[in-house]
Amino acid sequence: MNKLWIVTFETFLRQIKSWSFVALILGPFVIFGISMGVGYISANSAESGSDIAVISKETVMREQFIKNNKDSVDKKITTVSDAKKAMHKNDLAGYLILNTNENQVKATYYGTSSIDDSLKGKVLAFTTQIQQQLNYAKSGMTLEQVQQLQQQPVFKQNIAKKTGTAKTAKLISFWVTVMMVYTILVTYTGITAQEIASEKGTKIMEIIFSSTTASKYFIGKILGVLLVILSQILIYLVGGWGGYMIAQKASITKDVIAQYHTLINSVLHNLLSINLVFLLLGVVIYTIMAAFSGALVTKAEDASKASQPVIMLSMLALFMTFPFQNNMDSVVVKILSYVPFFSSYFMPMRVINSEAGPVEISISLVILVLSIVLLTFYISKIYQGLMLQTDDSSFWKRFKRGLSYNK
Amino acid sequence: MLNVKHVSKEFKTVKALNDINFTVENGQILGLIGQNGAGKSTTFHSILNFLQYDGEITWENAPITDTVFDQIGYLPEERSLMTKLTIEQQIVYLARLKNRSAKEIKPKIDAWLKKFAVKGTKKDKIKSLSKGNQQKVQLICTMIHEPKLIILDEPFSGLDPVNADLLKQAIFEAKDKGAAIIFSSHDMENVEELCDKLVMLKNGEIVLDGTVSEVRNSFGKTHLFVTTDWSKEQLEELPQVVSVTKRDTNQYLLQLADENAGKEIFERLTGGKYIEEFSQQPPSLNEIFRMKAGVINE
Repeated sequence: MNKLWIVTFETFLRQIKSWSFVALILGPFVIFGISMGVGYISANSAESGSDIAVISKETVMREQFIKNNKDSVDKKITTVSDAKKAMHKNDLAGYLILNTNENQVKATYYGTSSIDDSLKGKVLAFTTQIQQQLNYAKSGMTLEQVQQLQQQPVFKQNIAKKTGTAKTAKLISFWVTVMMVYTILVTYTGITAQEIASEKGTKIMEIIFSSTTASKYFIGKILGVLLVILSQILIYLVGGWGGYMIAQKASITKDVIAQYHTLINSVLHNLLSINLVFLLLGVVIYTIMAAFSGALVTKAEDASKASQPVIMLSMLALFMTFPFQNNMDSVVVKILSYVPFFSSYFMPMRVINSEAGPVEISISLVILVLSIVLLTFYISKIYQGLMLQTDDSSFWKRFKRGLSYNK
Repeated sequence: MLNVKHVSKEFKTVKALNDINFTVENGQILGLIGQNGAGKSTTFHSILNFLQYDGEITWENAPITDTVFDQIGYLPEERSLMTKLTIEQQIVYLARLKNRSAKEIKPKIDAWLKKFAVKGTKKDKIKSLSKGNQQKVQLICTMIHEPKLIILDEPFSGLDPVNADLLKQAIFEAKDKGAAIIFSSHDMENVEELCDKLVMLKNGEIVLDGTVSEVRNSFGKTHLFVTTDWSKEQLEELPQVVSVTKRDTNQYLLQLADENAGKEIFERLTGGKYIEEFSQQPPSLNEIFRMKAGVINE
């Protein structure tokens, strides 16, 4: 097997066998699961505490109200004393006494705080309806007269629902994309810089460079990390797809999924597009820089500091997107969508907002790919010098010494 | 054959190597000696293409490139392995970088561990081994792919005499199989025992070059070991005696200005009678090393 692939697979296997990779993969799923669980538990506990009881001597009226509002009423409580006990235990928000007296419907609410606005509306609608029925019965009107009085005005509103959803989808897609790019970049720049820095100045590099060229070793390392990234994205895609399938059928989530079906599909469409290529290439160029940065530390013990310059660059690019998320026409956005290290944030932002055509996307991609190739070529040439020099001097001195080490 | 021709290397204003020339034939062991900073590691790094240099270095009449790397076994001065790997993983990984398959190397590992008396099994993690055993694993990594050119930078440092003997045995086996071996050492006993020839560097220049006996004899047989009942003062009166050092009761080392005086001293000391010890020898490598370092410094 070609030595480049030996280094690639060694790097890949060592990374994916590590506990940190398992934690990295499972982390988002565990966090998602925990937040869903906490949300479910808190929703359940909040629901039981926000219910009210309905007390009425008129069984039919009580049952009719409960039938219309079963999600908000604890129907087991039928007496005032039971309702008070439940309120004392914080199991009940309050109780509603419904009565009719001499053709007058009367609803009285007792609670620790004022009745929920939405429930208040429902109570008023219900009591109005009952009151009307009593009024009609007492007035002795004919059916035709009653129907005429029940005639309601027609109010219609035409909302451009699709535009609203698309706008929300764009906003969500923007945040998901930039946060995803940033998180993956930070994770892999850290891993790469540490991987390289931990070898820095150790004699294992002399043994390796006596077996293969520094270029092959460097490119092998980068390809190994790239394979790890691809594995992670693949696992997330498969896991996300599986999770979505389950969520569509699970009783807890299927209503929410159905309600936001259009929105979710729009977001997924924005994510699973050319933006994924920008994400991947962005990670590659940042990974190369991280490897370079790792090779510049003084010694293996400084590995933890190695990724800092690259993470700072990534943070700069991330924060620069914030002021422009609603200003796609800005010339800054247009320029930065072509500049490597920034284009992985800015071009997806333009794509999501339909502000970039195929030509612009292609030009940006070509610039990014060319930059990756040139950067890889250049760093692989100076890599041996950088890795073998172990001066404990300033950053620039080390850099200069590294460049001239093998000259 | 390794051929180093007119190799020079400068680091800014420091001349690390100055017109170095030597060869190492297949089946030959060359010892590279010199004080710290003499240019030994720079020589090794130049051979391995870690540095760009002036001059020419060839292996079997071809420049040293990626493909030649497969025939090289290199042990750096400081030891370092990938501590998270097992012994087997480490050996196989480095051997695969030398274009040897795992299938070819794996069956040999147990025998090599036994040969170097490594305490542990091939499934043990490197980090679980003692420093000495890690060093032995590194030696195995250097030699298991049966390289044709073996470069060992201070291979004996840190090894106890028993393990040093195991290494010497492995070096001789490699030599018997036709490998060209070059190693550096500060231990002149090892150099004398192992080397077919030696090169001494001082300030980047070759100051000694030849077989061990050639080098030693070039200094003349000026060391005279005698056991006699003569007093030190009487010995100092002998012709061409520069100094007399008492080694033990009646045992002395006489330093001669001219080795030819030995015959006359023998006649005067023995008077034709039996004498327990009379041995005229060239200086030891240790003494030559010290002398050469001193001469250059003066």
